[in-house]
Amino acid sequence: MRRYSSDWYWYYAINYSLVIIIIFPIYWTLISSFKKPSELITSEPTFYPHDLTLQYYDQIWNFDRIKVLQDTETEDTNSSGVEVEEKFRLDGEGVKRPFINSAIVSAGTIILTIIVCTLGGYALTVLNTPFKNFFFLLVILPILIPGISLIIPLYKLLKEIGLTNSHLGLILIHTCGMLPLGIFMMRNAFNSIPTSLREVAMLEGSSELKIITSVMLPLAIPGLLTVMVFAMYVSWNDYIYAFIFINSPENTMLNISLMKIALGGSQFEMKWGSLTAGSIVSFLPIIIFYTFLQQYFVRGVTGSAVKE
Amino acid sequence: MSRLRKEQLVGLLMVSPALILLAVFFLYPLVNSFYMSFHKWPLFGKPKWVGLDNYIFMFQDERFWESLKFTFVYTLTVTPMLFVVAMGTALLCNAKAWGTTFFRSIYFLPVVMSFATASYVWLWLYSEMYGVIVYALEFFGFGGENKNLNVWKTGTSSMWAVNAMVTWKFSGIQMIILIAGLQAIRDDYYEASKLMGASRWQTIWNVTLPLLRPSIALALILSIAGSIQAYEQFVIMTRGGPSNSTKTLVMHTVDMGFDYFKLGPAASLGVIIMIILFVLTVIQLRLFRKNY
Repeated sequence: MRRYSSDWYWYYAINYSLVIIIIFPIYWTLISSFKKPSELITSEPTFYPHDLTLQYYDQIWNFDRIKVLQDTETEDTNSSGVEVEEKFRLDGEGVKRPFINSAIVSAGTIILTIIVCTLGGYALTVLNTPFKNFFFLLVILPILIPGISLIIPLYKLLKEIGLTNSHLGLILIHTCGMLPLGIFMMRNAFNSIPTSLREVAMLEGSSELKIITSVMLPLAIPGLLTVMVFAMYVSWNDYIYAFIFINSPENTMLNISLMKIALGGSQFEMKWGSLTAGSIVSFLPIIIFYTFLQQYFVRGVTGSAVKE
Repeated sequence: MSRLRKEQLVGLLMVSPALILLAVFFLYPLVNSFYMSFHKWPLFGKPKWVGLDNYIFMFQDERFWESLKFTFVYTLTVTPMLFVVAMGTALLCNAKAWGTTFFRSIYFLPVVMSFATASYVWLWLYSEMYGVIVYALEFFGFGGENKNLNVWKTGTSSMWAVNAMVTWKFSGIQMIILIAGLQAIRDDYYEASKLMGASRWQTIWNVTLPLLRPSIALALILSIAGSIQAYEQFVIMTRGGPSNSTKTLVMHTVDMGFDYFKLGPAASLGVIIMIILFVLTVIQLRLFRKNY
């Protein structure tokens, strides 16, 4: 493949155009969430906010069951700026509580997944657990049947054990969904650690749990981070379980509460500031994870698909 | 107690949380979904054995066929879109050039966003009155005087609008799979093709693509399996409309179970989805086994 300098010109031209196309929706959402209403709702969009405002963030975050009545009947309200801003009030719930709920479920899923998968992976690799291979196959089995086809019996199960409408129910379901990839990753991670290390620790009289936490886990950190990041991805980004299994407003998850904002008005009512701000709020935690743990993210998310 | 015996016990103890979770939240619902699909579930009282009635009810339901058809049309349209973009970006990122790591991390960026958030974001981009896409189309001379370009007006246009969002959001995963496949191709092949004087396109067509076949198959199966599970992008962006023309199988199942409270037919829908996905995953694993 011969390459001339003009080829490289094209190579970077194409790449940078793609970068702009990919980034643009996120950039547009970000700047929209900071624009003043008069600048946001206009047929002449601006490509950067001329006047920054945090009002939508303030509204969706601090709104708490106080419904601001909208006067939509009078036609001439658009002329006075104050009344337009009144209309921007979110009619419904704020996202503070849902944000905390989502954070609780994600943190719970991460912690539980790490504990269960570390213990399971360790038992199925290092220890002489009976039926090791059978158990491993059993744990890997859910790959074949995605959880989405089990929503009806899962709902019934949660009802039977009283876990609908609870964070714990979601945490347990997400953790169960994480088992195949999690145990697989931890098993690989432990497999690559020489057994002599464990034997030395045993001669020193350490207990099995001590060996895991002080000898094995520090060496399995890449695997651990992959599992952690993927658990975060799965639980934070979940929509369907949160939608079906949670039905009280105080337990709503973030992604569902944004739906309320999206539904909160017709095309002519002005929900867009709140919705873009909400989208940014929901994207922020995961983008922070992505920035710092990118390689584990890529491995986790594609690993879920590939499972070597 | 011997050391081995103790170790076995500790091992069983350690693996038990995973096994319990699996039994309660996977195996039991799995068995139960078949059980439920053969029973009638009244709101009160005991379930009654009805044999294949739920399946017959489901197959006679027009909405089932409509959602099945739509899910297949969606799958068949979005898969090539995803693949073309993923293949293009994978080839770009596989070049020996400065900046490929940066490009790759940007192309992967939308993947980390949830389907729900991506849908909200694109809902705003597509907004009928103030959306930037409408503005851009107008700017380049489409749409004309009529300022209402409503992509949600017909089922077809809604589907293409969602397809564009999904392509933006999801091609990164397939790109990574294809890059992994590309990197596994040894340089010798390229050198040989260069020696024979092949042009760049000839090289891609005759060397890269055939050697990449397993990764391509994997990427395609993934996209097919993913599209059959499509839910939130349609719930959020089209809400199944206009007039139920963009209702997916999973949406139909959820409606059946939680709007109409017909748990039996809903469970049998779940079984159908399960069988489709099971077959696809088995093919996927087969492909993977055979080629790696």
